[in-house]
Amino acid sequence: MRAQRMRRTPLSVILGLLFLSMAATSKCLGKYHELLLQLRRQADLMQDTSTLLDPYIRIQGLDTPGLKEHCRECPGAFPSEDALRGLSRQGFLRTLNATLGLVLHRLTALYQDLPEAQQLVGLNIRGFRSNIHCMSLLLRSSSEAETPEPTQPGPGPTPPPTPPSDAFQHKLKSCRFLRGYHCFMHSVGQVLREWGESRSRSRSRRHSPRRAPGDTAPSGPCRGGARRMWPFRRDRRLMPRGHLPR
Amino acid sequence: MRSMVDDARIPKPGFWSNWSSWEEADAQNSLGHDPLLVFPKDKLVEEGSNVTICYVSRIHRDNISCYLEGVQIYGEQLDRSVSAFELKNVSFIRKRGTNVFCKVDQGGALGGIVLFVSKVLEEPKDFSCETQDLKTLTCTWDPGSDTGLSKQPSQSYTLFESFSGKKTLCKHRNWCNWQVAQDSQETYNFTLVAENYLRKRSVSILFNLTQRVHPMTPYNLFPKNVGATNATMTWKVHSIGNNSTLLCQLELLAEGKVIQQHNVSIKVNGEYLLSELEPDTEYVARVRCAYTNHFWKWSELISQKFNTAEAAPSEAPDVWRNMKMVSGHPTVSLFWKPLSKVHANGKILFYNVIVENLDKPSRLEVLSIPAPTRSTELTLDQCSYQIHVTAHNSVGPSPASVIVISGDPGNEEVESGRVNGTEDGFSVSWKPQSGDATGYVVEWCDGPQDLPCALQWKNLGPNTTSTVISSGAFRPGVRYNFRIYEISAKRMAHLLEKKAGYLEELAPSDNPQVVMSNLTSHSFTLSWKDYSTESQPGFIQGYHVYLKPKAGEQCPPAFEKTVLPEDSLCCKHTIDNPEQKTFVVENLQPESVYEFFVTAYTSVGEGPLDAFTKITTLDEYSHILIRIILPMIFCVLIVMIICYLKHQWLKEKCYPDIPDPYKSSVLSLIKSKENPHLTIMNINDCVPDAIEVINKPEGSKIQFLGTRKSLTETEFTKPAYIYLLPTEKNYSGPGPCICFENFTYNQAASDFASCGHFPVTPQAPPHQLGPLTSPENLLKALEQNYMNSLGEIPAGEANLNYVSQLASSTSGDKDSLPTNPPEPALCSEYKMQMVIPLGLASAPPSENSSLSSTTLLGQGEHYR
Repeated sequence: MRAQRMRRTPLSVILGLLFLSMAATSKCLGKYHELLLQLRRQADLMQDTSTLLDPYIRIQGLDTPGLKEHCRECPGAFPSEDALRGLSRQGFLRTLNATLGLVLHRLTALYQDLPEAQQLVGLNIRGFRSNIHCMSLLLRSSSEAETPEPTQPGPGPTPPPTPPSDAFQHKLKSCRFLRGYHCFMHSVGQVLREWGESRSRSRSRRHSPRRAPGDTAPSGPCRGGARRMWPFRRDRRLMPRGHLPR
Repeated sequence: MRSMVDDARIPKPGFWSNWSSWEEADAQNSLGHDPLLVFPKDKLVEEGSNVTICYVSRIHRDNISCYLEGVQIYGEQLDRSVSAFELKNVSFIRKRGTNVFCKVDQGGALGGIVLFVSKVLEEPKDFSCETQDLKTLTCTWDPGSDTGLSKQPSQSYTLFESFSGKKTLCKHRNWCNWQVAQDSQETYNFTLVAENYLRKRSVSILFNLTQRVHPMTPYNLFPKNVGATNATMTWKVHSIGNNSTLLCQLELLAEGKVIQQHNVSIKVNGEYLLSELEPDTEYVARVRCAYTNHFWKWSELISQKFNTAEAAPSEAPDVWRNMKMVSGHPTVSLFWKPLSKVHANGKILFYNVIVENLDKPSRLEVLSIPAPTRSTELTLDQCSYQIHVTAHNSVGPSPASVIVISGDPGNEEVESGRVNGTEDGFSVSWKPQSGDATGYVVEWCDGPQDLPCALQWKNLGPNTTSTVISSGAFRPGVRYNFRIYEISAKRMAHLLEKKAGYLEELAPSDNPQVVMSNLTSHSFTLSWKDYSTESQPGFIQGYHVYLKPKAGEQCPPAFEKTVLPEDSLCCKHTIDNPEQKTFVVENLQPESVYEFFVTAYTSVGEGPLDAFTKITTLDEYSHILIRIILPMIFCVLIVMIICYLKHQWLKEKCYPDIPDPYKSSVLSLIKSKENPHLTIMNINDCVPDAIEVINKPEGSKIQFLGTRKSLTETEFTKPAYIYLLPTEKNYSGPGPCICFENFTYNQAASDFASCGHFPVTPQAPPHQLGPLTSPENLLKALEQNYMNSLGEIPAGEANLNYVSQLASSTSGDKDSLPTNPPEPALCSEYKMQMVIPLGLASAPPSENSSLSSTTLLGQGEHYR
């Protein structure tokens, strides 16, 4: 398991740097599907617990019976998958961007505990947010008459990280937070995958595969939790002209 | 609670205050809404401490389990809701602290603490300070373990100088800089304080600044004026203070070893002349310096490589020769060894060979041989020559090596001996022959002798009479021949002795090829003359002849019984003379099977046990039979050859194709025994009564002519007869016949001669037969033909047919001699004996019908 994690880490570094460099060049991809594919892959990468949660548990000594169980709970600090599905695309992107901003803030506080992993995950999040920005621009250009929609309240107006009351509680809270982050990214990946499926359904309503072959989503980091699939309300309306599926 | 002053300015040990009075607290109140509270929270302790942990809960203790890093711990219940756990001698686990937690078995409530266990802060080790320029002091130490935790940063280090009262917080864990004061403070008393949340540790040193000078590394080290044997090294140093002197150490290294060391005192620029260097050699020079006023430490080293220049080779090459006769001319192969690096003094470019005739004045012959060639060949005459060999590099030649070659090859037949090989090599010794020897040379070949010889030699002084020849090329089981030469005052070499030896003798690897000869009923001879004793892996000491007699038989007298490795009994005879390569195995039984096998042996053992060769001795009389039968066969063969060569002569003499009746033995026999008046009948005396011509088919003629088979074998089909009626009046028809038998006549012809029939071809035209009806014509023709045949046609000619003269009373009665004298009257049948040339048969018909009548018979036809 550890060796597998070690192999994954450089891959995440490369991908993160790749996306970051794309963001740095400030050149957005004009093609919807390519951008969507990138977002999905980034989401898959970021839901991988070996990048953040697993090292944290190991370093903090939480990988012992009795403590593991208390770190597996998905907290309600992040928007649920159903809540994300209920948003319009623009609303989804705004919520996603805001949530990841808060995650970055929390990760900064975890720097002492996870100096290397935190740095890598920070790069990934920044690259992902850059792509969110590009997707938002793409959608905006296709639908200027979209009704403004409030952002789904995520973790809420999180106060600046205050020193925890004690180290033990801090360990558990951070562990839950990291698991919540991975769960959230899993949900994001699911929603983004459905963005691609909406095109398939528009072409063939009788046979609507949930996922394209080979586009299997990795198993999620969250325990249980029914993932109901439902289409966006205005997905067709939001397609940018000339780029979105016809 | 109690307290104590903790200040560096207060000397230790301090004093504790009195304990405060007890305060009572309700544990349940501290729980708040939590079902379980574990404390103390985030306790920081040193490794090895004892820690007490408590929990407060409203739940019964039986339902609560507590764990230290996943391992359950058991405590003591203090009251209804409080339990305590004593952790003794806690150890450091991780920087993020040791997790201790308790949980309710049902409900999953969890409470815990993190116990931060710090490593014990160590006293800094090896604390020292030094300066490179008298301006900055650098203090270093070994910090030991890092005591940093999530709860506690790593220990800090503070440098405090007591004379000046200054202190500085060090930014690094193991070193710190201190600026030297401008007021020329010479003595410093530094205290280094290491500190974390739990403990302080300090260490102090007192020193004089000038005694802690560690100069910086010298720079710009270069060779200057590099010659063959000397070079000047220059370098620079960083100045220390004003007008300070440094002691520098210059070391010279060759092949990694220090060969020279020099101390030089300098201020800024250093220079030193290195001498006694070897030409064309790579050296490494290195320099380090120390403060002269008070030695504290050498600076770091600086190194520089350089090569000295070449010089002329310092020693003459070691030369040796090998003489042989090629096409009647003495040919000298000159060999020389490459000069060692020490003596070559540079790269050898070529060798000069100067040949000088000592017997008659002549021009010097100079050969220039490019390196790395190490030999040359000279063809000389019968004169004596002096040869000079010099090695040349870019600077000049070496001293000459001189060797004198005599036209007279000298005595090659000298004493040969053996030499023993040891692990160190061959220990060769010799006896000096003359008192004026200037030296000795031992030569040998490194490889086996049948290979191209890599000539090796060793020069030895005049007083030496033994040496050990060693070479990595020597192998066990190989014969090495050593030749010891004495070098005379005239520098001529004379062969002194020959030695042969093995580094290690081995048993023979192969056995002699034995030839068996002289096999008799009681002995045979074995010989193996082709077996070379020189090329064996050891000195051949003799041979073993093994003989397997037939079962139950004793060994011959010269043999002794022995047991072979495969446990079979055998007879063995030992030949202890390696030059005896024949052996006669005697005293054997006739007509008996023996098996023999011959092997050579050395001091180590005998050759491999090969297959025995079988042999069977002869019986006792066979040799006598051979002595008789062979000459007889020889004689018969001679006779047969003679008969074959003289068969024509014999044929003429003994069985001519046409026998001469006058030479017939029958005649003499008849004459002598019965009737002396009997003679051969003249043909003129015979009057034919009738001629019967038999018509014979053409096919039969062809068969006669083509195959020349005997007459009895010839098939006559449908014969046609021409009957010639008798002209005599007294002819009275057929009656008893009288035959004149010719004993030389062949059987076939006589068989064929049935009375009075002449086979004639039916196709013969009547006009051709006509003339024969006249008896005169016929007789004439017959007589003429007969006489022609006797006189003109040679006997034995292949295309002549002999027609016999025969008269018989009964056909087929040819073996018995006639008992009654012939009666010419009654039915006497005359059988003409004549030769008919083939040419007559083929002659075309002519007007002379009497002569041409014979052509009716054709080839192969016989008259009767």
